[in-house]
Amino acid sequence: MAREINIHAIVVQGLSILLLCAIIELGAGKVFEGMQEYFTTIMPGLIVMVPALLGLRGNINGALASRLGTGLNAGLIKPRLEMSTEVKVNLASSLILSLIASATIGVFAFGMNLLTGASTIGVLELMAIAILAGFLSGLILAFLTVFVAIVAYARGLDPDNVTSPTMASIGDFVTIACIYLAVLLVV
Amino acid sequence: MAVYGIKRIVLESYPILVTCILIALAAGYMLNSSIAEIAELPLILMMIPPINGMGGNIGSILGARLTSALHLGTLEPRLRGQRVLRGNVSASALISFAIFSLFGALFFAIAYSSGIPVARSFSLALAFFIAGMTLSAALIFVTIASAFVSFKGGLDPDNVVIPIVTAIGDVLGVTCLMLAIKIVGV
Repeated sequence: MAREINIHAIVVQGLSILLLCAIIELGAGKVFEGMQEYFTTIMPGLIVMVPALLGLRGNINGALASRLGTGLNAGLIKPRLEMSTEVKVNLASSLILSLIASATIGVFAFGMNLLTGASTIGVLELMAIAILAGFLSGLILAFLTVFVAIVAYARGLDPDNVTSPTMASIGDFVTIACIYLAVLLVV
Repeated sequence: MAVYGIKRIVLESYPILVTCILIALAAGYMLNSSIAEIAELPLILMMIPPINGMGGNIGSILGARLTSALHLGTLEPRLRGQRVLRGNVSASALISFAIFSLFGALFFAIAYSSGIPVARSFSLALAFFIAGMTLSAALIFVTIASAFVSFKGGLDPDNVVIPIVTAIGDVLGVTCLMLAIKIVGV
């Protein structure tokens, strides 16, 4: 894998993947817009968690994608769809992080609302929504990330250009859908 | 870097995640305090995942490329005389311009077709474009800084750069968007 700097390749690969991402982000935006009532009236304080939950996906899966990209480029991970030890360790770490970070978000968001005097639903409701949405989306996305990274590399695409952005956008969509689902279950 | 360990990944990542959560909660607070504008113009909600997402994407493509280059030794953590760095930054700037122009046009179409008058639709689209370009410039800077600092500090930049860039992207994205909407006067 040549690592000579090639602006043309970065722009072409980056831009085509970003166009795909743009469509997915718009879909996520549409779902988000549809939840307007939950944010403005039904569940005050809920919107405070949303950037953190969305960010979490980028953080955990983006880091997973980045590690896999480095691992593939450096030859530590073989570009085959198999549960090698390296892949298992990366997956397990992501899932553990999803769980504890989601719980943290619920608690901190409640604290934030108390501190700023914003009206808020209870800490247990916030935590339940955060954990449900965070872990469910984490589970779906961790497996998808491994799949996309390995397939992209096997097809000769640089996973650094492809995996992180694709997964971040799919992540936003899946996370917003999971937040919606969690809200419906908890409300 | 030859072996991955669950303990190393979790222990290195969790403090960064908590930092990111705290930063992201600031973005959440920003949203919560703009809840009246959002209730009046729900289209603003639709703009949030795109601006955060695309900002994060542009930063994380650059971040992933820089961290791989650092690991492989084709890039050194300093600013002067770095061909690889210059090339990557130009590519990111080009991509940002293309993607936020496109999004501006798309939001104009969406706003106009949902019954918002031409002038206001145009202002909304312009606000999105300005917010996006400001965000990209800031994120390119943050990405380079966090990649170099973490690499020099002996941390694996793969575990550090992307989380920081996406979290800062979330706060800056929401902030840039709300500010641009106010400045353009939608």
